[in-house]
Formats: sequence, structure tokens, C-alpha cells
Amino acid sequence: MSYSITEPTARVKWLAGGLVVAYALITLVPLLWIIATGFKSGADSIAYPPKVLFEPSLEGYVNLFTDRTRATPEMLEAAGPPQNWVEQVARDQGQVIAGPSRFGERFLNSVIIGFGSTALCMILGTAAAYAFSRFRVPLKDDLMFFILSTRMMPPIAVAIPIFLMFRQLGLSDTHLGMILLYTAVNLSLSVWLLKGFIDEIPVEYEEAALIDGYTRFQAFYKVVLPQAATGIASTAIFCLIFAWNEYAFAVLLTSGNAQTAPPFIPTIIGVGGKDWPAVAAGATLFLLPVMVFTILLRKHLLRGITFGALRK
Amino acid sequence: MTGFLNGLLRLRRGPWEMLASILIALGVVMLMQPFALALYTWSFLVTLTGTVMFVVVSHFPE
Amino acid sequence: MTHSLIERAAEGTPPGIAQKLRGLSDRSIAWIFVAPTIFLLLAVNIFPLIWTVYLSFTDYRVNRPNRDIEWVGLANYERILGDAGIWSTMQATAHFLLWTLVLQVLIGFTLAYLINKKFRGNDMWTTIIVLPMMLSPAVVGNFWTFLYQPQIGLFNYAVGFVTGKDPASFSMIGDVSLAPWAIIIADTWMWTPFVMLICLAGLRSIPDSIYEAAECDRASKWRQFWTITLPLVLPFLMLAILFRGIENFKMFDLVVQLTGGGPGNVTTLSSIDLKREAFEKWRTGYSSAYGVILFVTVFGLASIYVKALNKVKER
Repeated sequence: MSYSITEPTARVKWLAGGLVVAYALITLVPLLWIIATGFKSGADSIAYPPKVLFEPSLEGYVNLFTDRTRATPEMLEAAGPPQNWVEQVARDQGQVIAGPSRFGERFLNSVIIGFGSTALCMILGTAAAYAFSRFRVPLKDDLMFFILSTRMMPPIAVAIPIFLMFRQLGLSDTHLGMILLYTAVNLSLSVWLLKGFIDEIPVEYEEAALIDGYTRFQAFYKVVLPQAATGIASTAIFCLIFAWNEYAFAVLLTSGNAQTAPPFIPTIIGVGGKDWPAVAAGATLFLLPVMVFTILLRKHLLRGITFGALRK
Repeated sequence: MTGFLNGLLRLRRGPWEMLASILIALGVVMLMQPFALALYTWSFLVTLTGTVMFVVVSHFPE
Repeated sequence: MTHSLIERAAEGTPPGIAQKLRGLSDRSIAWIFVAPTIFLLLAVNIFPLIWTVYLSFTDYRVNRPNRDIEWVGLANYERILGDAGIWSTMQATAHFLLWTLVLQVLIGFTLAYLINKKFRGNDMWTTIIVLPMMLSPAVVGNFWTFLYQPQIGLFNYAVGFVTGKDPASFSMIGDVSLAPWAIIIADTWMWTPFVMLICLAGLRSIPDSIYEAAECDRASKWRQFWTITLPLVLPFLMLAILFRGIENFKMFDLVVQLTGGGPGNVTTLSSIDLKREAFEKWRTGYSSAYGVILFVTVFGLASIYVKALNKVKER
């Protein structure tokens, strides 16, 4: 191993590592608390002092997926023995299940709108980025800046006319409307990122393909697309995470039909008082996929964040 | 400083962009300062001037 | 206009390639490739924007669609810019902005500096630190209200544990003097990693050779930090500050879930105030003018951001 004078000494490394790990652990506490609260019983979740060790319970998850009503002991008696463990959990709280809650639907809406807008955004974005990268567009810098600045608009300010427009077109509270909206919002960033990735692919490859008798279109999808695949994938993850997490537009433009999970989860209330285990269970189910994604794809994601903020 | 003024006179991009940026920053500070309502009232005009100026002067030659 | 633009674009393409084509011409390819994006951006971004500007000069109200729309000129702007209430939401925004930036820059830069010491396992810990910023601000903000509960909340318990205060004696989101700090703490927890990542990119862009040269000149570590590290990372830090500044200037989701703007109006940031005007009081024309003011401010800051970006790229 070559010795370098700029290499920190072992002691410095230990100290730096220790501090970073300490910060990371503190940062992790609220997230672990969300996951833990999801598995607590109602009483444990609001215990003082806060319980770190507790008996796991599925109350939160059962309450998340069901609507329940409070029942008197006589009513419980009359209802007969519980049919399954889900009902058992509800009975233990002195409640009977009235039906499924809307969480499943809301979660599904998030999935549909998230993936739908990401797919559309990738198709449109890759094509536009390719054109911006390969053809000489006059006023290109202005257009690119303009595209970026649309991303920076305060969502509430633009939501007013979008709200009016969607109402006029019958798009309010529909999946299609939300998919189009998220696609438009994400397009700016993805064109910006994708242009960077496509710029890095040498033009010579396509020229060679064109000389070999490919049409421009064939050259695009047989030569450029495979080369840009990693870039496209990491951009797609960003779009997906944005659409997944978005709240402002969702809360203003959806209500009954196409509402996604972020505006729904905070509205979860239990039978008498805020049901924190159910909220935490919903939050866990909603946040965990992103956490797992982030850890699995850390290399691409971390590069992408820096790249997205620093690239022009 | 003379270079800066010279650049302004010769419609060069650098110094004009700097001026526009200063105006925008000034407008933002005026918008959010807690000292005088009058400054808040005029902040938007300053930001707007700076922003429009920025868009225009970014087309000046380097 | 767009059409002629694309045509000119196609004309600008090297003829060497154009001649080799069969099937669609470059011009139509460029047109087909760019048109949907431009169209969608026009429909969902530009058209609404122009409409907002138009509405900002009227007294239109969405909840009374049948009433005649009256042109009121600059009256909406005059009212907003003379309103001490809105001025105070701007100050609430400024307080939030200032402290989140200070904390995030200090903590973010320190973390980046430490991570750049390349201790073992630094990628893994970086990833863990980054987790909060990938999550949904609304869902996380909602959960923070639980952490901030007096007595039962984990945050209050931790503060009580460290300072010996009674965890039931204070309420982070119910107290007028504490609520502004409640949103600053949650935002800092969530977004420090962003500043950290940008600083890390800056630190990693400094070539070792500069430090080696300084070492030969017997410059102390302290001096190296102030004369090499900091000046070279500064442009990156500026970018991170501008980016976070713009994001927090329009902050909505995290804070609206955390405090809803209360207690009173102490955490009513401008976006939250705007949402009330537009979607609760339904003063569409008035709130459009409000939106235009916020938008122009953000647009101005974004211009500076792009300028700063060019500076960084020249390096």
C-alpha cells in the first residue's frame, strides 16, 4: 500500500467514523420509532415513559385495514365467536369490524399514479432529451433553463389554475389527471438529467449505425437506449420517488377517487382518539419500500442526487 | 470597479448579470426583513426588475 | 413558434447524417421527439402560469363561477404588498429559512468533511443518513407530531432525559415560542443529508495534489482548511444553500402536516397562507397575485442558482 501524506491517520478516521455513526444513529431513531409504533398496542404506544421493549401486536395493522365500531360486551356476546384472528384483534379492543378501510385503495392509487407517471415521463423525457442532445436547437439554453425553472415553481401557486383547468376538462380527482400532472412536473428534472446521460454517449456509435443502414429511429432504440439504460433507470427511480411522496397537488386535486396515500395517512383516526399504531403502520408500509430502494440502489441514487443538483 | 462599469457600458453579460443578481437578492431580503413595511411593499418591484433584467442580459455577449 | 424552432433544429443537424437516412427525416424525428414534452409542459406548466397572471388582475372567485369577472388592475398586488399580515408570514418564512439553512449548512458540511476522511464503511453510513430525505415529507411530518407530543412523545422524553425537564411541561407544536423551532428541527433532520451530499461532491472534487503541495510548504492543517478546503467547496455550498433556500421558501407539505400553520400564525409560511387564501377562502384573483409574487421570487432565485451552477462547472 502506498503511503500518502494526505491520507488521514487511523486516529482521525476513528474519530470521524465515530461522529458520523453517532449522527446516523440519531437520525435513524424517528424512523425506527415509526416502525416500532406500528407493532405496538394502543396502550403501549402512548405509554409514559415511551416503551422501547414491548409485546408486539398487530392491532395497528388490523386497524389500518379495517373500519371498526365500538361494541358493548353484550353486542360482542351476541355477535358470536370471532371468525378469524383479524376479528379477534378487533374484539380484544372491544370493537367489531364494520368493513375494510380505504387504505388499500389509497395505496393502490399511489402505485398506479406513481408507476404510470414514471413510465410516461421516461418515454417522453428520453425522446426529448435525445433531441436536445443530438440536434442543434436554437435557444437551447433558454429552453433548458425554462424547463428547469418549471420544476421550481411553488406547487400551490400553480395549483390554482390547474385546479380550474382540471375541473373544466373533467380531470379532477382522476388517475389520468394525476398521472399527467406528475409527468409534467417530473419531465423537467428528467429531461435535464437524461440529456446529461445521453450527452456522454459518443455520437460516433450512432453515425456508425446510420452508415450501416439503420434509420435514425432504429439507431435511437438499438444503439442509444441500451447505452443510456443505467441513466434512464436512475432517473426513473427519482421520478417514482417524487410521485410517490408528493402531497401538495394530491391534497388539493384529489379527494374521493384518485387520492394517494400521503394525504390519506394523516387522516387516519381511530375509534375515539388518534390511533397512532394504525398511522405508524400505514407510514411503515408506505415508507419502507422507499427505504429498501434507497439502500439497495444507493450507488445510483446518491450519484443521481448530486448529479441532479450540479448538472447543467 | 472600473472594469465593472466598463462592462456595464459595453453591455457585457458578466457585470449586468451581477447587477441583476444583486437586485434579486435585495428584493428577497426586502420581502422578508422584519424592519419596515415600506421595504416589504416595494420588494416585489425590485425582484421583478432584477428577474426581468436577468432574462434580458443573459443574452448579452460574454 | 415551437414548430419553426424544431425545423431550424433539424436544419442545424449535420448534413452528413441526414443524407444517410431512410424512413423518417431528422426534422420529423426531432419534431416527434420534442413535441409531446413541449406540449405537456405548455399545457400543465405554462398555460396555468399565464392564466394565473391573468387572474391576478381580476377579482375572480372559484366558488362563485357565475359572477362576472371584473378587471381590477393592480389592486390585488397593492393589497398584498400593503398587508401587514402577509408581511408577517414572510417573516415566519424568513425565520424558518434562515435557521434551517444555518443548521443544515453547519451540520451538513461537518458530516461531509468527516465522511471524506474515508473511514471504513463510510458508504453505508452515508446511505443511512440520506434515508430521511427520500421519504414523503407529509407522512413523516405527520409522524413528527407524535414525537412532539407532551409527555408521551419520544422527542419530549429525550429532551427531558437530557435536560432534566419534565417532558409534560412543554409542547413543541402547541407553544408559540417553540413551534417555529419544531418545524426547523424536523426540516433539518430531513434535509441536512442533501447539503451533506453536495458538500461531499465538492470535497471529492478537490485533487489530492493541492494538499500535497500545501504539505510541502509546511502549511498547517488549520491553514489548509481555510485556504484550500473552504474556498474550493464554497461554490458547492452556495449551490446547496440556493437549492435548499428555494425549496424551503415554498415549503408546504412537511410544515402543514406538522403544525398546520399554528399555533396562531407563528408557523404560517407563505405557501400555507397562500393555500388558505386560494382553497379555503376561495379568493382566486387575490391568491393568484400572491402566487405570482412567490413565483417571481423563486424564478429570480433560480436564475442566480443557474448562474452559480455555471461557476461551478467552469472549475
